Amino acid sequence: MKFFMLILKNLRRNMLRSALTSAGVMVLVFVITLIWSILGFLDTVTSEKTSNFKGIVTEKWSIPSQMPFSYADTLENGAAREDTDIKPIDSMTWQFFIGTTEKGKGFSLKTFVFAFCMEPKKLLTMMDELDSLAPAPKAELEKAVEAMEQNRQGIIIGQKRLAALEKRVGDRIKIFGVNYRDLELECEIVGTFPLGRYDNNSCINRDYLNASLDAYKANQGKPHPLANKTMNLVWVKVPDRESFTQVSEQINNSPMFASPPVKIETASSGVANFLAAYKDLLTILRWALAPSIIATLAVVISNAISISVRERRKEMAVLKVIGFQPNQIMFLVLGEAILLGVVAGSISSIGTYFFVNRVMGGIPFPIAFFSSFPVLDGALWWGAAIGFATSFAGSILPALSTRSIKVVDVFSKVA
Amino acid sequence: MTDPSIVRVVNVSRYFKRGTERVNVLNSLDLNVPEGQFLALMGPSGSGKTTLLNLIAGLDTPSEGEIWVGDRCVSQMSEAQLARWRNAHVGFVFQFYHLLPVLSAYENVELPLLLLPLTAKKRREQVMTALELVGLKDRNSHLPSQLSGGQQQRVGIARAIVTDPTLIVADEPTGDLDAKSAHEILDLLNVLQRALNKTILMVTHDLRAARRADRIQHLDKGRLVDQPDEELYEAG
Repeated sequence: MKFFMLILKNLRRNMLRSALTSAGVMVLVFVITLIWSILGFLDTVTSEKTSNFKGIVTEKWSIPSQMPFSYADTLENGAAREDTDIKPIDSMTWQFFIGTTEKGKGFSLKTFVFAFCMEPKKLLTMMDELDSLAPAPKAELEKAVEAMEQNRQGIIIGQKRLAALEKRVGDRIKIFGVNYRDLELECEIVGTFPLGRYDNNSCINRDYLNASLDAYKANQGKPHPLANKTMNLVWVKVPDRESFTQVSEQINNSPMFASPPVKIETASSGVANFLAAYKDLLTILRWALAPSIIATLAVVISNAISISVRERRKEMAVLKVIGFQPNQIMFLVLGEAILLGVVAGSISSIGTYFFVNRVMGGIPFPIAFFSSFPVLDGALWWGAAIGFATSFAGSILPALSTRSIKVVDVFSKVA
Repeated sequence: MTDPSIVRVVNVSRYFKRGTERVNVLNSLDLNVPEGQFLALMGPSGSGKTTLLNLIAGLDTPSEGEIWVGDRCVSQMSEAQLARWRNAHVGFVFQFYHLLPVLSAYENVELPLLLLPLTAKKRREQVMTALELVGLKDRNSHLPSQLSGGQQQRVGIARAIVTDPTLIVADEPTGDLDAKSAHEILDLLNVLQRALNKTILMVTHDLRAARRADRIQHLDKGRLVDQPDEELYEAG
């Protein structure tokens, strides 16, 4: 503590340099925090869980997957036929409805709607992140789900999308189908998703979509062209890997799914397959960009500390004269760098965590199904750790050089 | 120890290598300084005054010979031992003060005490005593840049005496000061010697400053000389 004030005052010696170095650290830690958050999030969603496995059933040979809705019940039961067969502990179907709120005026970010058509109650049990909400947002979502159950024309819209559409909860909107041509859905906005992963998504009751397709057939005298291809994904939740393997066999061996054939894979494997298209980008982020930024950070600190040490050789010689040990002087220099790195790094990463998660609602980096990414909780300590490590690496050589300062040499040049 | 000298320089030589050439700065030099004496070292530039002072203060080690301060052979101590010894036993006064510009007068004086196992209260007592002794108690919160040259040197002296050292070494302490300030600093050194019985070694080019000491020792070409060549001090 006795030396802490000395370290602090030395940092205040050249406020401009300390401020610029801190700014450099903050900017680079900010970028690292974003990169690590995206990579960390993708790692999480692509890593296999040990329990509560989720499997995705899709059409086997075709992308995008388009299965008949008649598959729904059988797939949600894991194609169980015998008493010894395993049934999933939960499941949901997804039918994607892409639309626009302004017919004939083109397709823009202000009018775009992307909705999962599904059973509303499954929002609370099967959707990643929505199944583990804090009590307050969970209560809000439950209220919206209840409203959707009672009013099958209800729609829940992500908060960013709602703002982009310039609508509010309670408003009614008409959505003109883009993938379902000539299909119009009239919906009442009954709630929003909590800020985060589903900011730009919406949810419509699947019964309403299916009823609209029936109405289309009644009005047009023929079924909608996509009528038999409405189901895009089926999610099944099983307790463990063994159960997943058995359910996979049940589905693969079922004669029900001949045309079109289907396949099942784990959710993480499905996401990983989807992310394969971004493999090069993610590899560059992970192995080139992030390490380069960390190296740059160390160089920025090294540069500042080297200049500082060179300017203060006389002072360090004075400290030696009055009895400071070489190691103590070295630790003073290291302490300055580490204090600056840790404080600036912490401010940057903690600030990024709260600003991005609370104000921005995530990092806007559309990739795969994800429109934005949360800054991970690890960011609360990443900044301090990066600041510590890079400032230590950057200042160790200049700090070591102070040990060899010869008092006689320094003052012989001064006198 | 029957020898009353607190500083004993025994047959000390100091030379440096410059390429293949050997430069002798001090040649087989002997010097004794009794406790409580104020000794002025004079000599032309390059005569070895500052080198001798650095050797006695433990900032450099002799090429040959021994240096004793009290009962400690300074010339045989390791760098770490020397640092500890300097902190406790030597106060150093520089020509250009060399105060840390980011620290107040108080904090500059406190620096050597940070290395000792003292409570904050005890440190404060010692710092304020030292500042009072040099007449700057009321300026303790001032930064060096807010003090005159003479005041900065007095802070430098307070820093040198705050650990109550055995020996005070001063390298041209008045060299950067006007006549009035120089006079005040020399008065202060006289007070330290007489009132506190400090042993003071001072290097100076200024004959008037040297005359304030108990004894003047002349160096020329690395050796002590009894009678200085008058030409050497024409400037003084």
